Amino acid sequence: MVTRVLTILGFAAVIAALAVLELLGRRKGSRIPTLGEWLGYVMRSRAGRLLILLGWLWLGWHYFSR
Amino acid sequence: MEPMAADDIPRWPERWPGRLRVRSRGGRPARKVVIGAGLAAYSWVAASTVPFTRNALLVVLLPGAAVAVLAYGRPARRIPPPDRVDVTGLSYWAVCIIALFEWEAAAFRDNSLWWHPSLTALIDPVLGVRPVKAAAILIWLLSGWALVRR
Repeated sequence: MVTRVLTILGFAAVIAALAVLELLGRRKGSRIPTLGEWLGYVMRSRAGRLLILLGWLWLGWHYFSR
Repeated sequence: MEPMAADDIPRWPERWPGRLRVRSRGGRPARKVVIGAGLAAYSWVAASTVPFTRNALLVVLLPGAAVAVLAYGRPARRIPPPDRVDVTGLSYWAVCIIALFEWEAAAFRDNSLWWHPSLTALIDPVLGVRPVKAAAILIWLLSGWALVRR
């Protein structure tokens, strides 16, 4: 039971950290890029764009098709 | 940090002069409502599909094909990406995402047992509720549109 709770807390902590980063990135003058900014940066190249879009498609398949 | 590889993605509006018309940010509310209602309806129907079936695969592949067409065939008006991003700031994101994958991989390695569940194992029961699954599909569709504009 303790291990399960710890695992769930681990996921929650990482997801909360991602949310905090997004909030920090939205502050004026922040050096931390927002999710949209760094995704846009990665998607500047054709390979990066393909990789991110394939990741999006994989997420849909993983959670909604199977 | 120097910018990544050369920007070889054609950007609106240089290559598509026919699409030069400037739209106001809040323009065409009726069109947005119709598209939003269509996406919501699609999500609701898609949420009714049974996993591991042909229909469940199609409801994902259809938006995938639409995004591919929009991304490469008929690019949407894109949001200009930043010329550079701060390496330190980006590393915070990288650390968190790697930690998420590592945590997931550790659970997957243990066959996602009850005492060490993967994120997928935790989310799947929640997605068993149709309104939740429909909302998740709608968010997924909207994120696909957001990515096409990047």
